[in-house]
Amino acid sequence: MLEINQLVIQLGDNTLKYQRTIEEGEIVTLQGLSGVGKSSLLLCIAGFIHAQSGTICWYGEELNPVASEQRPIAMLFQENNLFEHISVLKNALLGTQGLDEETLMDAANALHIGDQMDKMPTQLSGGQRQRVGLLRTLLRPEPIILLDEPFAELDNHTREVATQWVAGMAKAHNKTVLLVTHQQEDVDKLSANNWLIG
Amino acid sequence: MRSEVVHRYLLLTLTGKPLTKISNITGLLFILLICTVTLLAFYGLIAFSGQGADLDLLTDSYFHSILIFSIKQALLSALISTLLGWPIARALYYLPKLYFKRTFLSLTLLCFVLPTLVLITGFVSLLGSNGFLTPLMGEEWSLYGLHGIILAHVYLNLPFAIRAFYGQLQNIPNTSWILARQLKFSPWQKLSIIEWPALRANYALTFGFIFILCFNSFAVVLALGGGPQSTTLEVAIYQALKYDFNIGEALTLAWSQLLIAGCFFILLYRSNSIAWLNKDSHLGQWQSTQSAMSKIILCAIYIATFSFMLAPLIALIPGVFAANYSVAVLMSIGEALALTLLLGFSCAILAMIIAYWIMQPIRHTLLKQQTSLHIIYQWLANHSLIAPAMVLSVGLYILFLPIMDLDSYGMTFVVILNVLMVIPFAIQQIRARLIQFDRDYGMLSSSLKLGFWQRFSIEWHYAKSILVSTFSLVLLLAMGDVAIFSIFGSDQLKTLPWLIYQYASSYRINEASLASAILLSIYAFLLLKLERAKNNA
Repeated sequence: MLEINQLVIQLGDNTLKYQRTIEEGEIVTLQGLSGVGKSSLLLCIAGFIHAQSGTICWYGEELNPVASEQRPIAMLFQENNLFEHISVLKNALLGTQGLDEETLMDAANALHIGDQMDKMPTQLSGGQRQRVGLLRTLLRPEPIILLDEPFAELDNHTREVATQWVAGMAKAHNKTVLLVTHQQEDVDKLSANNWLIG
Repeated sequence: MRSEVVHRYLLLTLTGKPLTKISNITGLLFILLICTVTLLAFYGLIAFSGQGADLDLLTDSYFHSILIFSIKQALLSALISTLLGWPIARALYYLPKLYFKRTFLSLTLLCFVLPTLVLITGFVSLLGSNGFLTPLMGEEWSLYGLHGIILAHVYLNLPFAIRAFYGQLQNIPNTSWILARQLKFSPWQKLSIIEWPALRANYALTFGFIFILCFNSFAVVLALGGGPQSTTLEVAIYQALKYDFNIGEALTLAWSQLLIAGCFFILLYRSNSIAWLNKDSHLGQWQSTQSAMSKIILCAIYIATFSFMLAPLIALIPGVFAANYSVAVLMSIGEALALTLLLGFSCAILAMIIAYWIMQPIRHTLLKQQTSLHIIYQWLANHSLIAPAMVLSVGLYILFLPIMDLDSYGMTFVVILNVLMVIPFAIQQIRARLIQFDRDYGMLSSSLKLGFWQRFSIEWHYAKSILVSTFSLVLLLAMGDVAIFSIFGSDQLKTLPWLIYQYASSYRINEASLASAILLSIYAFLLLKLERAKNNA
């Protein structure tokens, strides 16, 4: 269970406040106007932004003092998810803790990027890069998954494929997912609980 | 389910820990270590004299003249190097199809790291009392004194300025030139709105860096000073220690040097480092075109600079043919070369490892926005840039002389002190790239919970080019050392620069030319190999 208790983040002149309890295995979509602090919340949960007050707890264990490298969290950022100077395959395997290549390729094929794995990231389109990042994030062993606009650069068909894949993976591995999206259809397809911020 | 999740979390905590703290602590230990060496050196000097610095010296006219000369020669050298560096960088930038441009750029690197004594041997053959060009210089000409010092300093530092400015010009985005064309900018507008702003920030930095190098220069001033009226603080320290053994005077001079160079150093370190070893990545299809007259002027500047850089190196050739090729001479040169390479590689490998570790806490403070701590770490890590090599060498020599047999351990001290001296250069070069890595991928690396070796492997691929070129720079700088070896070296084991000095000081200029030419060839060979490795990286 992920508990966000009276969390306050100060960003410049903006004071952002959050309160929510998320069950294990639950998928929660975050929606709200630009600038209301959806990405900031994810970055705070991941340990990249300090909370001014309040706590983030995972099964009663407070995460605030835990370094980002030690939190049980895998995150997909809005950008810079791939190292540009190493191959897509090497990028995809990072942080997956000894995942076998076969499993990886199955997932890559499911996301229609199986034939892109030997390329360098610069040879990929924006949507393909996003799916590589998405693939790796879901294949990592951490129980909490944070996705910051994971489908933003995908066309309708690929978006459908990716959404279903995320929902399936989350259910199969009992992942707790927080996902920023501007599309209502994503909420429906993921059978997610929506959290309207701001 | 809960216990499984908690177990998985605990497992992650143990296996995913990227050893950040251990890296930082190791880095801090290295900073402590290099500071300890400096402190020990000063302790050696202070404890030996027992009475501290000779403060009366501060009111002495001798001190004033040394101080003024030190600053004057450094200011003039930095000013001339940077003023000349700009038009030459423009020639390289605006005339991308210049003949032998790659050779020229390699030569600039060679000139910057050239062992001072090779250069001096070349200049003596060219402009010394019996030099090839001396009759053209008029009766008043003397290589010894301010002229010679500035000439040598400009020769050694102009290439640095050229590369730094050229790098800045290459960074001008193509969009700026496209916009300039669209807005029909005049040449003056291009210069003032596009070119000068690109150079402005690094101009002061380049000037300051060259000033410090010249202010701390030792071998050039020792060889070309020519008398007490042309002595710098560094050489005066050497003379006070070697000839008078006046520790009090040496300490006052050393503190003065530290204070002045330190002030410049602090100003420099508030800014960014200068990138001057980057690959030539300029595409330049939209850059400003030059008029025919402008092209001719830029070409003339390029040819003149090329000639200036080649002249003292070519001047070594007649001496090479006239040298005594006895077995003894060849053996001496061979042994000295082997020792030079061994010391150079040992120093370079150690310096690179230490510099990389030292960068860990520096990067960490930057990420955590701990500005004051960041500046302190940087200052401590780079302090040896202003601590005179001579003072450190003599301090340690005095401290350890009664404790151990320095004839047996001399080479160890040569390595330690050379590593200390080249670490700032290594840090200067790798810093920007590693910080860029953190900016681009810091959060991603943390999020992926990469272990030390995994992260190092990714960083290595990202920064391989700059790490290889920095290694080459550090290797060549360490191989050219004279100051430290003059204190800890022995007659049995000599480096090639020290052998050149011995030949030159015993008027065996032909043998000095031969040894210089061999060292020069080794430098050119290593540079060629390493430049190739860097470009393939």
